[in-house]
Parts: sequence; C-alpha cells; structure tokens
Amino acid sequence: MKFANSTVPTKIVIPMAPMINVIFLLLIFSMLSMKIVSPEANFNINLPVTAPSHAQSHASLPVIKVGLESDRDGNLTQLTLGGTNLGNDEAAFDRLNKELLLLIGRPGHPHTKDIEVELDADYECQYQYVAKAISLCTGKSDPQTQQGARYVEKIKFAPPHKPKS
Amino acid sequence: MKTRKIELGFTGPNMIPMIDIVFQLVMFFMIAITFENSKADERVKLPRDMLAKPPEVKPEHELVLNFGYQRDKNGNKINAVPTVFYNDRDFEVGELTRVLDAEKRVLEETQGRDVIEKVTVQIRADSEVANGLVQQLIKKCQDSGFTKVSVVDRGRKGL
Repeated sequence: MKFANSTVPTKIVIPMAPMINVIFLLLIFSMLSMKIVSPEANFNINLPVTAPSHAQSHASLPVIKVGLESDRDGNLTQLTLGGTNLGNDEAAFDRLNKELLLLIGRPGHPHTKDIEVELDADYECQYQYVAKAISLCTGKSDPQTQQGARYVEKIKFAPPHKPKS
Repeated sequence: MKTRKIELGFTGPNMIPMIDIVFQLVMFFMIAITFENSKADERVKLPRDMLAKPPEVKPEHELVLNFGYQRDKNGNKINAVPTVFYNDRDFEVGELTRVLDAEKRVLEETQGRDVIEKVTVQIRADSEVANGLVQQLIKKCQDSGFTKVSVVDRGRKGL
C-alpha cells in the first residue's frame, strides 16, 4: 500500500530578518525614550507647625537656636549659633557644623536624639542658605566615603519674621 | 588531472552573536527606561545638599508643589514674585489655600477621609526664593490639613 505522504522532509528555515528588524526598532525606541534623571532628595526631617511655642521639648535639652540674617536682596549677612556670630561666608557654615558637634558631643547617641534645632531666618533670606543650614545642622558627610553622620533629627522653624519694608 | 571539488556552503555572516548582543541591549534599556512621570518643574533651581538622600520608601500619596520664578530660556527671572507651579497654572502663595482645599476635597472623596494624614507635601523651592515665603507655603499646607511636609533638594552629585 502506498502512502500519499511520502515527501522527503525538508529543513525549515526560520526567517531572521523580520525579527532583527523588530528588535532594532525596540532598541532604538528604548534608547530614545531613556532619560537619565538625577534623583531628588529630602532631608528626612519633619517640619512642625510654624506656630510660636514656649514649651521646651526636654527639660535638660534646651533648643539650639540658629539664626540667619540677610539684607533686603536675601544675601546672608550673619549666621549665628545661640547668639554667637559665625560670619556670613562658606566657612561660617563649616563653623556652624563644628560648633554643633561640640554642643552635641556624641552624634547618634540615644541622648542626643531629643536635641532640637530652631532655625530663625529673616523673611528675605534666600532659601539656599536655609537649606544649607538645615543640612549642616542635621549632620556631616565625609567627602571621600560619602558616608553621613547624623547630628540632629528635629529641626523646626521659628515663627516667621515680617518683611523688611 | 583530477582536482578535488570542494563544495562551498552558505557563507553569510554569523548573525547569532549580534542578535545576542542586541537582545542584551534591548533588555538593559527596557529595564532602565523610566517614563517621564515626574511632577518636577524645570524652572525651579533646587539647592544642592550633601546629606539629603532620596527617600528609601516612596510616600504612598504625595503632593508636589513647585515654588519658583518664571524664567526665560537663559534662566533669568522674568517675574520678581515667585509663584507655585501647579497643574500647569501659576499661583501666588496667598492664592494657594483654595487650591489646597480643592485638592484635599478630591483626595478625601476618592481615597477616603483619612487619606490626608498619609499625604506628604513635597515642596520643591527654588534656591533664590525668600525663606519667609517658603515658611508661608508650609503654613498654608498645614492649615489646609496636610501635616506631612518635606523640602526637596538636588542631593549630592553622583547619586
């Protein structure tokens, strides 16, 4: 008996060209759509309500007051720590960081967790100085290892000043 | 004289290594791709800070307020008064109460009444904005019931 299906099996060649075309299209689409965005960050601090508060946060730990005075254009004229003038240049912020470390003693110690810093900045003072002060009050970062040491977790703003007329 | 006949087969280029590499590239780009979903406004020039770092856990609900100046193509200020850029509109700080109240209403209607306590307001303030105005903005948010407020900056280089 003869079978109808007696053809010799042939090698099936899968056409690669359409697949390569599609993959190239995907590649080009992905490359063009990719956008490298530098991640934004925050200070990991909670900003409490900016209402005047006369209560001390802790009986043995007074609030550390950091002041930022500025001219009418918002440029920093004086940075103070508890009434001590630290200057108005880049070095003033480094001094603030060092003085704070002296006040705190041992960063990361459980006793220092309740220390609170109050930022008292002029109305016109540019936000960049305030952000820098917040940063240097919260801790210090080693430029080589990029590791940060936390000084203060609690930072609050003093009641806002009125604008200089 | 008899010569040995060598049969030449298909001598086209070997495509397999190329396809392997291209697949690897496609995989890399498809994983690395992030479609633009950011509410950041490019007009706002954030201050840079060494200690600030991206949050480890993304907030469940966030409300991003971009606070800065209208700027031209060269980055020069057009308007001396900073405004809050929100939903393709500009608002002065004083006008923001009704915007925040409306946002709060919508959130409460869609997500439930307790959602406001979970919303983190992220303030992206321009480095040149007056501190008093940033404080006013924080106060407005807190008066509207948004208790979690965080300030955003650019983070350290190379992050």
